[in-house]
Amino acid sequence: MTTVDYGGWLINELSLAVSDLVNPSKRVSILYFASALFFAFVLFLFRYGKGAPRRLSALFSWRLWWHPSARVDYALWLGNRLILSLLFPKVITTLGVVTWLMFQLREVGLSPLAMTIPDWSVIALFSLCYFLLDDFSRFWLHWLMHRWSWLWAFHRVHHSAKVLTPFTVLRTHPVEGMLFYGRSLLVQGSLVALFVTLFPGQVSLLMIGGVFVATYVFNICGANLRHSPVPISYGKTLERWLISPAQHQLHHSAAVEHYDCNFGVVLAVWDRWFRCLQFGSDQQKLRYGTLSTLDQTGVFGQYLSPILFLGRGLNGRQAGLIKTTLVNAGKAKARETTQAKPE
Amino acid sequence: MKKTLLTAFIGASALSLHAQTYDFAVSLPDYQGDASSSVSYGGQIARHALHNSLKKASKSGDLALMESYFSSKAEGLSILDPVSKKGFAIKQSSIDELSKGKDLKSSAYPGTITGWPGNLTGPEVLQQMVTNAANTKGGYDPVNGYDYTQLISKFTMGAVFYNKAVNDYLDEKLEADVKPNDKPYSKGAPYTGKEHVWDEAFGYFGAPINGLELTPKEVVQIVKLNPDYFAKADANKDGVVDLKTEMAFAHAYYAASIDASGKTDYFHTILQAFYDGRSVIQDAKGKVLSAAQREELKGYAKVIGVAWQQVIAEAAFKYAGSVYADLEKIAIIEESNGDVKKAYRNYVKHWGELKGFALSLQAAGRDLGRTQSQLDRLIGFSPVLFGNAQVVAANSKGEFTQSESVTMQEYKLNMLKVQNLLSSHFALTAKLNDRTGGMDDVLEQLKSGPSAEND
Ligand SMILES: [Zn+2]
Ligand SMILES: [Zn+2]
Repeated sequence: MTTVDYGGWLINELSLAVSDLVNPSKRVSILYFASALFFAFVLFLFRYGKGAPRRLSALFSWRLWWHPSARVDYALWLGNRLILSLLFPKVITTLGVVTWLMFQLREVGLSPLAMTIPDWSVIALFSLCYFLLDDFSRFWLHWLMHRWSWLWAFHRVHHSAKVLTPFTVLRTHPVEGMLFYGRSLLVQGSLVALFVTLFPGQVSLLMIGGVFVATYVFNICGANLRHSPVPISYGKTLERWLISPAQHQLHHSAAVEHYDCNFGVVLAVWDRWFRCLQFGSDQQKLRYGTLSTLDQTGVFGQYLSPILFLGRGLNGRQAGLIKTTLVNAGKAKARETTQAKPE
Repeated sequence: MKKTLLTAFIGASALSLHAQTYDFAVSLPDYQGDASSSVSYGGQIARHALHNSLKKASKSGDLALMESYFSSKAEGLSILDPVSKKGFAIKQSSIDELSKGKDLKSSAYPGTITGWPGNLTGPEVLQQMVTNAANTKGGYDPVNGYDYTQLISKFTMGAVFYNKAVNDYLDEKLEADVKPNDKPYSKGAPYTGKEHVWDEAFGYFGAPINGLELTPKEVVQIVKLNPDYFAKADANKDGVVDLKTEMAFAHAYYAASIDASGKTDYFHTILQAFYDGRSVIQDAKGKVLSAAQREELKGYAKVIGVAWQQVIAEAAFKYAGSVYADLEKIAIIEESNGDVKKAYRNYVKHWGELKGFALSLQAAGRDLGRTQSQLDRLIGFSPVLFGNAQVVAANSKGEFTQSESVTMQEYKLNMLKVQNLLSSHFALTAKLNDRTGGMDDVLEQLKSGPSAEND
């Protein structure tokens, strides 16, 4: 590559990153941010009347968006795009995996179902299976990242955010990004291969405006505020089923009693199953971060941190903290947090 | 808004008067002759008739007969296909009635064809196929797995018709400094430079001039000379089908046959663009085309080029699916110790069609990037033969060398990859004989999810 090529590549990658802001299939899309705000405003209006705008005011402060921690978010977002586009030319494509898997399935004798099934039920079944498998695998990989210290070494980059903004979702170490790409390759590859073998030509995803229905609803209902200073609880009943923004904020909490809870993305049932669900509250006041020097580290330090972390042994917040005692403590804590502390 | 309504109105009234037939009056102000039409592409139709006849001749084992249609430019050749039959009379019976002194070889794509052994140019590949075909029985070489009738026919359509139209007439010859619109194409001709260039491209596509009024199904039946469709074919009601204006050939036929599946509209899309582009030239009334007019023309040329390429890719896609199915059949017959002769013959035939269309894609000077080398590798120089061998090279005499290859089972996987590759690179929609279960569409949808994002 010549210098000119590098320049072109750099500009191209950066403009692609910026274009994510208006791409409805990306979490950081401005559309979803606006819809999340609207969702929160209506909910708060309903719950607190005139108090609603004040509860959202933290989102409109430059102190949040220009906080040193938020600036690290931006740098990691752009840096990761450049690194992943260089190191990761996606030699293994999902299409390649699906083709190979489908071929193997056929070779072992799996063939299209003999009975005819209407298109809509194939679409419904496929969409449901995909949603469940995708959501569970995200939960499980996330859970592992907290359980194994060599994975935590990478995932703690995400947890070192001292303030949460919608961009914090992209504050990840590139190795974590690759692990998540591998996860999606595996989930999509196996599910699509199985379905196109059984129902050739009928498989399709339920979409709204070019986006998977579940993703769409998830983003409309305030997914962008999961990483934000605004705690939004769905109420105890719903939070047994769906992870609310407040619940994910508990996941980021620096307080020991909140460690290793609420790993889920959309569904809360996995956390219940693994006995690590805690309930959120609109009133919760939390400190975020890992309580280690990583919280003050700049972008380069973040990239190098896993090496130092693994070299030095565990430090600050410990990995693998899922213990029955803690879960029980968490349950007690959950009861407390829902009983609002007066503001 | 007003303007579109007005044009729609004018368009509709024009339609009711004489429809959108590909026929245009003389526009040159100084023209002295007595021709009323400025449309002429007899040379192209002559080449279509040469191609159809060569396809017939390729089964004869008669090299001289094949050469006469392929490269001789000789006079007095009779048309071997299509020929009149009961209920379907055809106006012309000799090539000379269409145009004299034409051949196929000299118009073939001069670049190197990487998908065929020996590093040969387009004309050399065709010559080798013709020569080899003469040494076989009925154009079929079971040893190397070649069906020369299919290979010659499918590759000729790409290397001659598609190449000349898309790579020459609709490309270089649309520039300002060549074939100007304010002069006759040649001295005394009733058409301008640009008019004739556009018409020659239209001729190579091979559609009847009233194609916009015909359904794809009707076009297919007309090519099959089905007497039930004679009335549809004989647009001017003179009792004979004129090959110059009332017959479909080559890729026009394939476009229509793919559209007959109901999922695509390649035939009408291409025809409409030809008609609209020609109207732009006609509206210039024999004056030099402005930069804006040439831009508009290039826009239509692009529509034609893209859709034409898709038609070829759709055809290749379809036959990759056939090859897959043939391999499945062969495996089943082998398992029960049956006679695979007939299944193997079909396999070789379908492979020849796949290969001919795939080679066509690279025979028009269009950069296919990595797709070209991937297609070459996946399809190979021959089908995978019994004993897991494949042609790997050819010497200067056109003799082929075979070497160990993947198994027939694994070659099936290659066909799936070929279908995926064609579908994604050329954005296909009809996808006939799809053996991939429609996986690439599903994966395209899944891309909308935030796959690499975490919480
Ligand atoms: Zn976490
Ligand atoms: Zn988070």
